[in-house]
Amino acid sequence: MIGKTSWPVLNERCRVSEADSLWVLLPTGQRASGEWIDDTLRARAEEQGLLDRLTQVAAFPRQRVEVVRGPNAGAEVNETFYRRGWTDGLPIVPPTTNRVDGMLRAGGQPRHQVLGEAEPLKGVVTVEKVAVNAVMAGCEDAHMPVVLAAAAALLEPEFNLRGVQTTDENVTPLLVLSGRLAKTLQMNSRFGALGPGWRANAAIGRAVRLIMHNLGGGWPAAVAFAGLGQPGRYSLCLAEDDEFNPWESLREELGFTVDDDVLVVQRAESVVNVTGGLDDLASVMASATSAFSRMHGGQVAVIIAPYVAKMLADEGKSKAYVKAYLHEHGQCGAAEFEKSWLPARLASQTKWPRWVRDGVARDSVPAVESPDHITVIVAGGDIPIPQCAYLPTWGFPPCRIAKKIRKTSV
Amino acid sequence: MLRASAAVEAAGIPSSSLVCDGFLGQGATTAVGLGLPNLPMAAVPGHVDTQTDNELRDNLTSVTLRAVIENLTAAPPAAVMIPEPGPQDVVMDGSFEEINRFFYENGWSDGLPIVPPSREKVERFLAFTDLPAEHEIGKMAPDNRQATVWNVAVNGVMAGCRPQYMPVLVALAEAMCDPGYGVEHSGNTPGAETLITINGPIIKELEFNYEQGALRDGFQANTAIGRWWRLYLRNVAGFLPHQTDKGTFGNTWRVVLAENEDVLAKIGWPPHAADFGHGRGDNVVTISRFTGGDVIASVFGQKPEDMLPYLADALISQTGWQLIFTVGMADGSYNPLLVLSPILAETMAKAGWSKDDVRQWLFENARIPARKFEQYIVEYTNFYSGGRSMFELAQLGKANELYGTSQDPDRLVPLVCNPMDIQIAVSGDPGRTNAQVFSHNGILGFPTARAIRLPNDWQNKLAGAE
Repeated sequence: MIGKTSWPVLNERCRVSEADSLWVLLPTGQRASGEWIDDTLRARAEEQGLLDRLTQVAAFPRQRVEVVRGPNAGAEVNETFYRRGWTDGLPIVPPTTNRVDGMLRAGGQPRHQVLGEAEPLKGVVTVEKVAVNAVMAGCEDAHMPVVLAAAAALLEPEFNLRGVQTTDENVTPLLVLSGRLAKTLQMNSRFGALGPGWRANAAIGRAVRLIMHNLGGGWPAAVAFAGLGQPGRYSLCLAEDDEFNPWESLREELGFTVDDDVLVVQRAESVVNVTGGLDDLASVMASATSAFSRMHGGQVAVIIAPYVAKMLADEGKSKAYVKAYLHEHGQCGAAEFEKSWLPARLASQTKWPRWVRDGVARDSVPAVESPDHITVIVAGGDIPIPQCAYLPTWGFPPCRIAKKIRKTSV
Repeated sequence: MLRASAAVEAAGIPSSSLVCDGFLGQGATTAVGLGLPNLPMAAVPGHVDTQTDNELRDNLTSVTLRAVIENLTAAPPAAVMIPEPGPQDVVMDGSFEEINRFFYENGWSDGLPIVPPSREKVERFLAFTDLPAEHEIGKMAPDNRQATVWNVAVNGVMAGCRPQYMPVLVALAEAMCDPGYGVEHSGNTPGAETLITINGPIIKELEFNYEQGALRDGFQANTAIGRWWRLYLRNVAGFLPHQTDKGTFGNTWRVVLAENEDVLAKIGWPPHAADFGHGRGDNVVTISRFTGGDVIASVFGQKPEDMLPYLADALISQTGWQLIFTVGMADGSYNPLLVLSPILAETMAKAGWSKDDVRQWLFENARIPARKFEQYIVEYTNFYSGGRSMFELAQLGKANELYGTSQDPDRLVPLVCNPMDIQIAVSGDPGRTNAQVFSHNGILGFPTARAIRLPNDWQNKLAGAE
């Protein structure tokens, strides 16, 4: 007979050994055909001379879970993952089985569910792989539904992930959370909304980058040839401020209800600071919009400071008015357009879109095709200083993807 | 279907396989095993069986067609070898709990604890075969991995087998690789599970249970060898749920069914393996996939004529969609199994009935109206489209002539094409008048037998075993 007290006795050896070991899931992508994208990346990294830094590319056990032994298992995982090319250069949180399990519970979607294939190397994006990368990025479990929504957005054809990953332009996904969930998750929409300091903004954006990196294989200088990259490639994620936004929310504007939580994803080239109001924004739009962006048309974004937004609203100006105003005034002259790099040097034979040709004809070329191609976000510190921003875009086709975030019990 | 596409591609002809959404993952993994990991597939949204003609047309023209054109006009990228650990690599070093967790996390275990397959344990298994460890048994879909004596032993250790079970395991691996069995179908959606039956003196030598509770766990040989089967399908053939194994429900692996050869000898009936050309006293395993079935409780009667109508009725009630294996798909491959408890077999034998007499009676009497048969293969399942009656199919040579004797839809027709297609085995509680019917999965797991080859000096080795 086993007495009642003898039942929960633990195996001491086992306990010690488990405390010293990390059971980590591999974040990297496997194609539907079973190939690991690392084998392709190794060839590219070798061609590009990256193996002196990434010394262990493709050198890993071809399985789901790996055991890393202590006593410094955490440091070991970090070093190994970095050398295998699986990080953004910053330390990662080891994606242990129990951390990933917590993330999966919070995500509420089955582990093996396939969301799609991440371009350009076509790693299969499963919910589990998303969770692994989210853990590595430093996400809290409660962030998982947002990361899943972001992953789904990246996989929409109009996001053009292949283009975003491989272009020489420095484009990156812009994530905007519109919904009350932002407050629950403590995602910043005020002072310092674009960072640093808030975990949700930092980690969710970073998770998206790691997914692109580890499942799509968008390794800089190996597959991704963005001329410079940009700091936004670590994370570019903020919330719309419900309280300071005097207009209808982004989610309502895009056909959802005020009670929904919606992640809006579009492509951003950079964040250009604009201290001023609509005219200052329009002027920056006119000059900071590349001819390339005009060639493909796109969805640009402006972030409007609470102070400016309130002033405009007090004057009775609607969001639609703001968009129309920016569209109308954010235009450059024909000569300026024609002497810019692309039309002058590379694309003199290109057939430009009608709206651009019409703009040249009337000596006023808009930044985007229509007012609706401008996403207006209200965020920033509540001070009477107009700290706004313009986020130009890149690439075809125009994209503003809105994903409703699944409510979960966590 | 992908196997046909692979053959066509191998012949240098572009292909495009139409695959329903839910099967794309299975398609991709299956393609790897076919040696063509980039076999072009075109997705069909949803499942075709539940769509209206208009929905299907819209889905095909808006989604599938584009992919078909691309598949047929672009060359698929070249295949790349997918590395995996070598067969004799040590993949993990740790405590019992750690090794179990590691194997489970990496998909190499069925969820129950495994015995860690250390080199030393594997070698104890190898001592029970005269074949070399690297002996190649055959390659199996979907992973196209080589079955070897070594990996038979590794999975044997893991399943909790004893080393002396090794000759049985090798014979089972050989049967699994037999093209006549059709292991490649093991991931199909009905999710049938294989039943292993065993004959010969080895039943007693390895202490298989063949009496009361014959299909219950609790007896190491029956249980561990049954578990080995599923582990081998997982780890060597490569059938994994959510990937290559699309069994809609599936069920747990079955323990091995050992026949009661004492009773068979007493009543003069041949062993089950005799159906496959093996003699009395031969050590033989037979594998066959079954989708279901049931116990037939309390078979009442003093003579065969009293008992058989109930058993015939049981064959009828446990046979439905499986009739597509009699007419429609791989004609004449339906082989249901009737397991009789010893007392039932003895009562029949006492009345002078041979096993073949029983089969003949069941063949003649386990019959259903032709209209019901047609309902299963046409109306309910749509397995046989085109609206032809079985009479017409028989006239065209597409169904056994048994089905072409009349056009009367109410005529009674047999469930199988030949009395010998009804398998009969004797096992279970010797004194209870119950039987069991297993509904067979036709060509997708056809009955296949293999003689068990014992190593030299078997008796001495056995005497020295744990």
